[in-house]
Amino acid sequence: MFDIRLNDRGDVVLSGRFDAAQVDKAKTVFDRLAATAVVDFKDLNYISSAGLGVLMATQKRLTDSGHKLKLKNVSGHIRDVFNIARFDLIFDIQ
Amino acid sequence: MEKKFQRDLRSLEKIFDFIDHFIAKQRIDHAVKDAVYLAVDELFTNMVRYHPKNNNEISLTLKKERNRMIIRLTDRDVEPFDLTKRKDPNIQASLKERSPGGLGIYLTKNIVDDIQYEYRNRTSIITLTKNLGRKNV
Repeated sequence: MFDIRLNDRGDVVLSGRFDAAQVDKAKTVFDRLAATAVVDFKDLNYISSAGLGVLMATQKRLTDSGHKLKLKNVSGHIRDVFNIARFDLIFDIQ
Repeated sequence: MEKKFQRDLRSLEKIFDFIDHFIAKQRIDHAVKDAVYLAVDELFTNMVRYHPKNNNEISLTLKKERNRMIIRLTDRDVEPFDLTKRKDPNIQASLKERSPGGLGIYLTKNIVDDIQYEYRNRTSIITLTKNLGRKNV
């Protein structure tokens, strides 16, 4: 079960499994971001390339206007996937 | 164990359940689970996307042989797509030059130990080998 929400600070909070079937749901939140935002991965258990694609597209769009995504609480499987995809080169991973 | 799944991204939840069941039944280290999820997810998603109008179900077979897990996806009545010949994306490129295309296959190549592609009688068969007992993604 995948979920995405904004918390009180405006951080994007992800939970569950982010696969290709969840892209439309995720984009309802990511596509509305218009400034630098934190994405919290603490409760996300799994991500596929479809999820990476949403993050990358959002980062490209925000960077064009001088903003960016900051990724936090990245661990385990998600960190391994980010390392393989070299997301450290294109994201601020806290 | 073999099971057929509808050609629909909503099948992914059922696929994850099938993998969970196999791993528990075969007493395979749960550390392998995310790697198997990812490899099967990426290949199944590609099959759905590249042949959306095909009504055939996609078959997933999971086997344990000694100290390795064999994962096979079979897609019938499709055009060939040899993922082993796909060029890797440039993951060192700048954000502006990067695109998500090809990332799924690249991830799959990096988390399994062997990939074989066969195409015969208009059927694509992808066989993955995941060695057990080493660090897993």
